Amino acid sequence: MELKDIKAIIDLMKKNDLSVFEMEKDGFKLKLQKGAGEQTVFSAPPVAPLAGGPAPTAAAPVPAPAEEKGAPLKDIVSPMVGTFYRAGSPESPPFAEIGKAINEESVVCIIEAMKVMNEIKAETSGVIAEVVAENGKPVQFGQVLFRVR
Amino acid sequence: MFEKILIANRGEIALRIIRACKELGVRTLAVYSEADVDSLHVQLADEAICIGAAPSSESYLKIDRIMSAAEVGDVDAIHPGYGFLAENAHFAEVCTSCKIKFIGPSASAMHAMGDKNSARASARKAGVSITPGSDGIVATEEEALKVAKKIGYPVMIKAVAGGGGRGMRAAHNEASFLAMFHAAKTEAEKAFGNGDVYMEKLIVNPHHIEFQIIADRYGKTIHLGERDCSIQRRNQKVIEECPSPLLTPALRKKMGQAAVKLAESVGYENAGTMEFLVDNEGHYYFIEMNTRIQVEHTITEEVYGCDLVREQIKIAAGEHLSPHVVNAVPRAHAIQCRINAEDPEKNFQPSPGRIAFYYAPGGRGVRIDSHAYTGYVVPPYYDSMIAKLITVAATRGACIDRMRRALDEYYVTGIKTTVPFHSAIMRNADFRSGNYDTGFVERVMKADNFELKPTPTRLHE
Repeated sequence: MELKDIKAIIDLMKKNDLSVFEMEKDGFKLKLQKGAGEQTVFSAPPVAPLAGGPAPTAAAPVPAPAEEKGAPLKDIVSPMVGTFYRAGSPESPPFAEIGKAINEESVVCIIEAMKVMNEIKAETSGVIAEVVAENGKPVQFGQVLFRVR
Repeated sequence: MFEKILIANRGEIALRIIRACKELGVRTLAVYSEADVDSLHVQLADEAICIGAAPSSESYLKIDRIMSAAEVGDVDAIHPGYGFLAENAHFAEVCTSCKIKFIGPSASAMHAMGDKNSARASARKAGVSITPGSDGIVATEEEALKVAKKIGYPVMIKAVAGGGGRGMRAAHNEASFLAMFHAAKTEAEKAFGNGDVYMEKLIVNPHHIEFQIIADRYGKTIHLGERDCSIQRRNQKVIEECPSPLLTPALRKKMGQAAVKLAESVGYENAGTMEFLVDNEGHYYFIEMNTRIQVEHTITEEVYGCDLVREQIKIAAGEHLSPHVVNAVPRAHAIQCRINAEDPEKNFQPSPGRIAFYYAPGGRGVRIDSHAYTGYVVPPYYDSMIAKLITVAATRGACIDRMRRALDEYYVTGIKTTVPFHSAIMRNADFRSGNYDTGFVERVMKADNFELKPTPTRLHE
């Protein structure tokens, strides 16, 4: 991937008001995150042989293609009654922050019921767009926890 | 007294319990399925928590979710209502282990009387007469045939885990016996997950008469008279009355004493009902006990001047039975009609859906226990009862007249109800003369002159 390709991606993101772009191919990983005042993160692993690297068609396998702007957000709802926690413990970082890419198996939160901490899986894939439930507050069956793009 | 109670039920009984709690100054937490979001009990409770999807097995029967809701809501007691988990001894045990008071009898009393077989054994031990029958579960065809011969046909084959009139079959002779034996077992297995059956002598066209028991934890056990629930359709009660037109004061005294004796023998606490079958010669036989508040508790309340759900809560909170309940005497006559969302013109086919317009009768001596309202959508997932219409008057005749009048004012559009069916029964000569038994509804509906009475009232909508 060349700098002009990355610039093209940034332009596409700006134009379509996308917050996050993440891709991984052949050992090369790239994440671009738009933030209000937060730094844009470029990350590529130190071992980055790009011999004959991917063509600028990188836009195609993007998990958040341009058409997705305006597509309805998917809800992750609570499968049980209990108390919602964003992290495994008070010192740990939250499982799912806005912008995090998730898949069906990703643990997004903990719901504590009857003294048992249940790890809740996303059961959908995409990128966390909103955190709806409040940390430490009770949730009921069917209550929206997160919205996913 | 409790600070907050979780109501582990829905519909009219959830509303009934919430009302009693509000009058006692106790906060209420309702639990509900996704189908009951707009239900009246959810709207009137102080707090409400959704516990699952529409099917009962995914919500109202989910012990873990109910207990989570109880924990989240920080309740000190749970009232189970009737049906669902009300007679589930395991649920009562879970509540106790979570230090939440289960408003009802102890788990051990439920074990002793909940299983129909062990209830019969308890009755036998207490010297209360039971229907001649098997000495417990009948496992094999050989054993079953022997028992049938001993007690004499016709016989009833019943599921030990049964309820609501299911898992039972009558066999009138040896030729048809085995087919009925297997049919009962199969239905029981399917409906209750337990195919065990026992056998009883079938008393032809009996009266179903039950006694209301209430006891506090200090050993005070009393009965509040009987209810006659013989008017049944397909083994489901449709009309109940208090007192029974069949019982003499002497028989009432004998049966009442037997009911109290049996309840005391198993250390019963809180409200419960002893069911008997009575034949035309005044012989009575204990058949089973319902270890919970019943749908028809209302008519006992009207006749004996008491609030049974309020007493239940007070007993569970450790209070003595109220003096006015201990000293209650029957002072009137009451009848209850169960109004179901069913079409009596189409063989009582269920009629769920949106109630377009709802007007319930009123006036002196009319009581409505209902969660229905204009715009309410009756869900298809639960039982079809949408209201209980109760009338009370000084005499039986006046009570029937009042019920007939009230039914004629009951105006529900958008769904079909059984109001026309009840109207026809209230005008039936045999019912009016008190001349009926459990075979009454079937006979009456087959008669040529049976006519459903459509509601004459027309109201602007």
